[in-house]
Amino acid sequence: MEKCKIIFYPWKKEVTVPSGTDLLTAAIRAGVNIYNSCGGEGVCGRCKVIVRKGEVITEPTGRLSAKEKKKGYVLACRTTCKGRMEIEVPPESRLEGLEILTEEAKAKRLVGLYTPAEEVEKGPEVALERVFTHGPLSTKLYLEPSPPTLEDNVGDLERVYREIRKGREIPIMQMGLANIKKLSKLLRDSSWKVTATLGNRNETTEVVLIEPGDTTNKNYGVAVDVGTTTIVAYLVNLRERQVLGAKACYNPQVDFGEDVISRIIFAQEKDRLEKLHHVVIDAINNLILGMVMEHNLTLNDINGVACAGNTTMIHLLLRVPPEYLRKEPYVSTAGFMPVIRAAEVGIKINPRGLLCCIPGVSSYVGGDITAGVLASGLDDLSTPGLFIDLGTNGEVVLGNKDWLVCCSTSAGPCFEGGGIKWGIRAMKGAIQRVEINPSKDKVNLCTIGKGKPKGICGAGLVDCVAELMKSGRLNRAGKLISESSKRIREGEDGWEFLLVESKKSLVDQDIVITETDIKNLIHSKGAIYSGTEVLLKRVGLSFQDLEQVFVAGGLGTALDVEKAIMIGLLPDLPPEKFTFIGNSAIAGTRMCLLSHEAMRKAEKIAGKMTYVDLSTEPEFMNNYTASLFLPHTDINLFPSVKKLIG
Amino acid sequence: MEKATEKWASKVNQLIIGATQKEGGTRNSVIKVGGATTLPFLHFEGVIPNSPVIAMEVWDMEPPDWPAVLKEPFGDVLGDPVEWAKKCVNEYGADFLCLRLASTHPDTKNNSPEEAATTVKKVLEVVSVPLMIIGCNQAEKDTEVIPAVSEAARGENCLVGIAVEANYKTITAACQSDGHSIIAESPIDINLAKQLNILISDMSFPPEKIIMHPATGALGYGLEYTYSIMERSRLAALQGDKMMSMPMVNFVGQEVWRAKEAKASEQEVPEWGPIASRGPLWEVTTAVSYLQAGADILVMCHPKAIDSVKKVIEELMKKE
Amino acid sequence: MALTGLEIYKHLPKTNCKKCGFPTCLAFAMALAGKKTSLDKCPDITEEAKLALESASQPPMATVTMGVGENQVEVGGETVLFRHEKTFYHPCAIGITLSDSLEKEKIIERIEKVNKLKFERVGMFLQVNLIAISNESNNPDKFCDAVKSATEKSNLPLILISNNPQALEAGLKICSERKPLIYSAKEDNREAMVDLAKKYSCPLVIYGKNLEELDSLSQKVVASGVKDVVLDPGTRSLGGSVQDFTQLRRLALKRGYRPFGYPVITFVNGSDPYQEVSMAATFVAKYANIVVLDRIEPEEILPLVTLRQNIYTDPQKPIMVEPKLYEVGTPNENSPLLVTTNFSLTFFTVQPEIEASKVPSYLLIVEAEGLSVLTAWAAEKFTPEGIAEAMKKAEVEKKLSHKKIIIPGYVAVMKAKLEDESGWEVLVGPKEGSGIPKYLKGTWQ
Repeated sequence: MEKCKIIFYPWKKEVTVPSGTDLLTAAIRAGVNIYNSCGGEGVCGRCKVIVRKGEVITEPTGRLSAKEKKKGYVLACRTTCKGRMEIEVPPESRLEGLEILTEEAKAKRLVGLYTPAEEVEKGPEVALERVFTHGPLSTKLYLEPSPPTLEDNVGDLERVYREIRKGREIPIMQMGLANIKKLSKLLRDSSWKVTATLGNRNETTEVVLIEPGDTTNKNYGVAVDVGTTTIVAYLVNLRERQVLGAKACYNPQVDFGEDVISRIIFAQEKDRLEKLHHVVIDAINNLILGMVMEHNLTLNDINGVACAGNTTMIHLLLRVPPEYLRKEPYVSTAGFMPVIRAAEVGIKINPRGLLCCIPGVSSYVGGDITAGVLASGLDDLSTPGLFIDLGTNGEVVLGNKDWLVCCSTSAGPCFEGGGIKWGIRAMKGAIQRVEINPSKDKVNLCTIGKGKPKGICGAGLVDCVAELMKSGRLNRAGKLISESSKRIREGEDGWEFLLVESKKSLVDQDIVITETDIKNLIHSKGAIYSGTEVLLKRVGLSFQDLEQVFVAGGLGTALDVEKAIMIGLLPDLPPEKFTFIGNSAIAGTRMCLLSHEAMRKAEKIAGKMTYVDLSTEPEFMNNYTASLFLPHTDINLFPSVKKLIG
Repeated sequence: MEKATEKWASKVNQLIIGATQKEGGTRNSVIKVGGATTLPFLHFEGVIPNSPVIAMEVWDMEPPDWPAVLKEPFGDVLGDPVEWAKKCVNEYGADFLCLRLASTHPDTKNNSPEEAATTVKKVLEVVSVPLMIIGCNQAEKDTEVIPAVSEAARGENCLVGIAVEANYKTITAACQSDGHSIIAESPIDINLAKQLNILISDMSFPPEKIIMHPATGALGYGLEYTYSIMERSRLAALQGDKMMSMPMVNFVGQEVWRAKEAKASEQEVPEWGPIASRGPLWEVTTAVSYLQAGADILVMCHPKAIDSVKKVIEELMKKE
Repeated sequence: MALTGLEIYKHLPKTNCKKCGFPTCLAFAMALAGKKTSLDKCPDITEEAKLALESASQPPMATVTMGVGENQVEVGGETVLFRHEKTFYHPCAIGITLSDSLEKEKIIERIEKVNKLKFERVGMFLQVNLIAISNESNNPDKFCDAVKSATEKSNLPLILISNNPQALEAGLKICSERKPLIYSAKEDNREAMVDLAKKYSCPLVIYGKNLEELDSLSQKVVASGVKDVVLDPGTRSLGGSVQDFTQLRRLALKRGYRPFGYPVITFVNGSDPYQEVSMAATFVAKYANIVVLDRIEPEEILPLVTLRQNIYTDPQKPIMVEPKLYEVGTPNENSPLLVTTNFSLTFFTVQPEIEASKVPSYLLIVEAEGLSVLTAWAAEKFTPEGIAEAMKKAEVEKKLSHKKIIIPGYVAVMKAKLEDESGWEVLVGPKEGSGIPKYLKGTWQ
């Protein structure tokens, strides 16, 4: 077969693939991450690359402007290679920002996706108040059992058990045959000085490993939040209860679809479940390996992994077919996955190490939300509170110590930059603050990393829309008022507002907000607000009854409450009622990793949380259409905004 | 047993259509709608100062799809809006007309805004009842036609439409400068209805001069959706929602005479009975249903149906 | 009156034991609040809680049954004043009068005509429900003859109308096992009527010439042990009746006033069919549970049964448009073909945009349980298979000379599969309706 060699710039990454391979596939092989949200169908137009050298066969597409075509732009997924070629991936097509994150991670400041909001060791403030008894997923005990005598002639295994049980209440204990086979020799070779690693496998305590000598100072674990778009991992010293480091990367499954539904459908075809499973495991292994190396540990020192993710992510992680999650009546294979050996799914830690998944509630409310609730302490409140996760699925939980109800609002990817013309995830170069000076028709921006902007992230979009409203450039239906600003013009996708001129942007193009972008944001914020309304109504409460509102998610810590209220994303409550808790899923997962009690609590939360399926709620559609206005069709729900815009 | 009476916080806006000489127009009479402080016809708990009214449809061209049973009462005036309008007033006693500028539609004659304006002027000359003027219901063409006809009818305080989300800006501006009231239409959704009212009001157009059209479904063709949206709108108005306090209009004739039940011949469906009364009865039943939902203006076609519904309104306005 | 989910939850064991078939106690409580399950599903409920919850869940308006078997009619049991608040449950029954003073042949002719008043609309059979035999002759024998004819020639439940208890009893002897409605107990014959209702276990109408009289009579009749009661507040002007019926419904539902917690019957008659149909239509909309009229022509009955179907449709079901091939403008064999779901809002967004594009087109609406494009696709209700089938059913290949179909941008991923399924070229249209004009004017051409 004819081969061709491709070099991807600016990284100069090389790959050799059979002729006729499309560039997107080649890029994935080369380890180059290119933006693409339609799964390589030629629809999203995100995977733009520039052919520097070489011959290509490219399908005609309407997703590129004439100007771009002239410059040699092609869509990677619609272009096949031939011979030797050089491809440049322009900044707007790069799925990156990871380097920035890991740098921050080195400074141990990664919570959420990018915000250097709090020290990782401390975790979100609200979580601090929840102190659980120390009892990690994996415990190491140094043992010196007395050698057997003619009188004391119980078996070696029973002897070890007896030693472990000294002063401990452990009703059910077990050890695998592999360990038992080696046990007698190991005890004698190490002069009866050994370290036992105990693992919590649900209600059973397993002696996972017996090692010679005292290794109790080497007991580490990893907490992982497997998000639809981002994976975050913490390295945790299980004995000292300390977070040593954190790393994040994009979920490489993004290449096969931006949302969970696309991935479930993708997984239905032959071998594709395997593929989704492998890429996510590889990504997690890379994160773990990276942290292990940075801290001069070995993979053998990692004795347990705790994972949280939405139900689809957990199914894919464990290679359980997710097919029925999206079919009526939307049932998962399991909400409470058993604790298994991490090696069973290919996670590379100590071969005997365990993997536990935080239990989920339903097909559309997963363990990440259980963990989030655990971290927030919502389930300890005596008065009703609200937990909102501003992510692709937009889960909302309402309740207190007696009861919890939740729903998933399918907010869509726009908080993470998806479906927005210049939307990018919260990475370096993302606009996250916007201010409009109405009299001068000037825009002031603030980007992550302070450099030139290359796109806008969710928080920036919320800011921008609120500012457009406030400055009289946007009507309440989300339509730009053309006569109000010179920056409003008709672009190729309809009316748009010029945010950054090409000369000031990193991408040498004008960065704009289109009416369609605004419409997408309105749909997302409407879904979350109306989902919350329906939950409240189901239990007969109103927003005024809420004592606390926890806002979680990558966008959370950078979100301006007032502006989020202005556009109707968050309810119009006094600012002191809101608490931003960043990535609460990882915070809760860390708690579960460190404390058996916390894990029990998580199980309790998942067990008592009542899932409300919005698609079967008759009022939802009505509430939803009412919320597709700025801030809402009923302005009286937003008195502070009413005051502001009259 | 004590009567179950509700205490409503507010009322439906009252609106006047038409301007007499004194008010700067040339009408001999005006139409008042709205103003109710209670639900439809519940005289025991509020005031209903104005009865619902019927506007009779007049087209500026021969309607291409009307069945014979509907054409018959109008005979040879169908192609002539002036004679048609006269016939409605003189022969059928219409006190309110709805002039439909169907000829401006690109798919019919694609007549120009100027031609439409001429028609409006002529009709205003030959009849002295208040006028509702609507375009061809094609949002884009209406943005050209409505400003012209609005200007032609300046000072007559007509009810002009139909403004939809796509063209409300132009139509609102025209009505505002020429002193007309406006019809705001939204597709069977109470929130969209309110949103359009807000958008129009946000252009400094007085909310009291808006009439809502929540889209009309003929009996058997989505009537229940419109019906419920109207009930909800009326409740919202009475509960004090200023952006839902507008009187409501239903284009009953327009929808009914497209329905199979009003058009299909006896040969096609003998089990449905004679077409001569079946169509008018369909129009009557649709109309009386909307009266119960809170309609303030019914736009209707068949003289017999109009006559019957007028009697029903009279009966409903009796307090005992 | 009606308890919320949380109020009910307070009375439950809160063990989340799942024995009721719901995942949590709160889920069970919310289902109870929505009347989607019954309290006896909880095995651990305390007697105390049961008592508290049952009294709160007693229906404010009784449901009354007439007739037996297939043609049995249930009326009443309504819980709301406006259909949008929840739904109306038991469609207003429509009855046709039958006078016993008619000639025997005329009686049979009329019954047979009533039997023919059946119509099919959107897959449902609509018909009149009751024959109301009135003893106008004042002759018990003639009344019996009419009752006999009606029982022989029709399966519909009956209303037996007479002021004469003897005539009624004679009629009841013939047809009591078919559970007719007895009309009516008035001030002067109350006791005899109550006895008949009890003896033959049939529902009984109470007639009061105004609300006050009806109130006191209802209390007396109910006190004497008749449970299946229907109320007739007498006839007055159309406006007067609407107000009285509103009072009855409001007092029953909003005030929980027990004497009025029963279905309402009314009779309409007028010299003019237009007036009679108008009155009946008004009462179908505003608060009669049984409407009896003299009219019998199909063109008079069809609008009424259609209106009843409309008003009593459950508004909580998603609003759908009929799945079929729609023409926007006047398309020809070269026109574009677009496809989307049968969710009405989707339809009403897409259709005007096509219209605005001025490109005459075909719009294929596919059955997707009234869900929007993305939701339907996610739930596997808008699938390549479903679209291909709808294309076949609509015979699109006969209408078009090309083989291209435009799918919504949101479901671009189904392109390949749909091409396989249909054998047509699949074009990916814009995601939003607002992109349609540009697409049709630009890309399509």
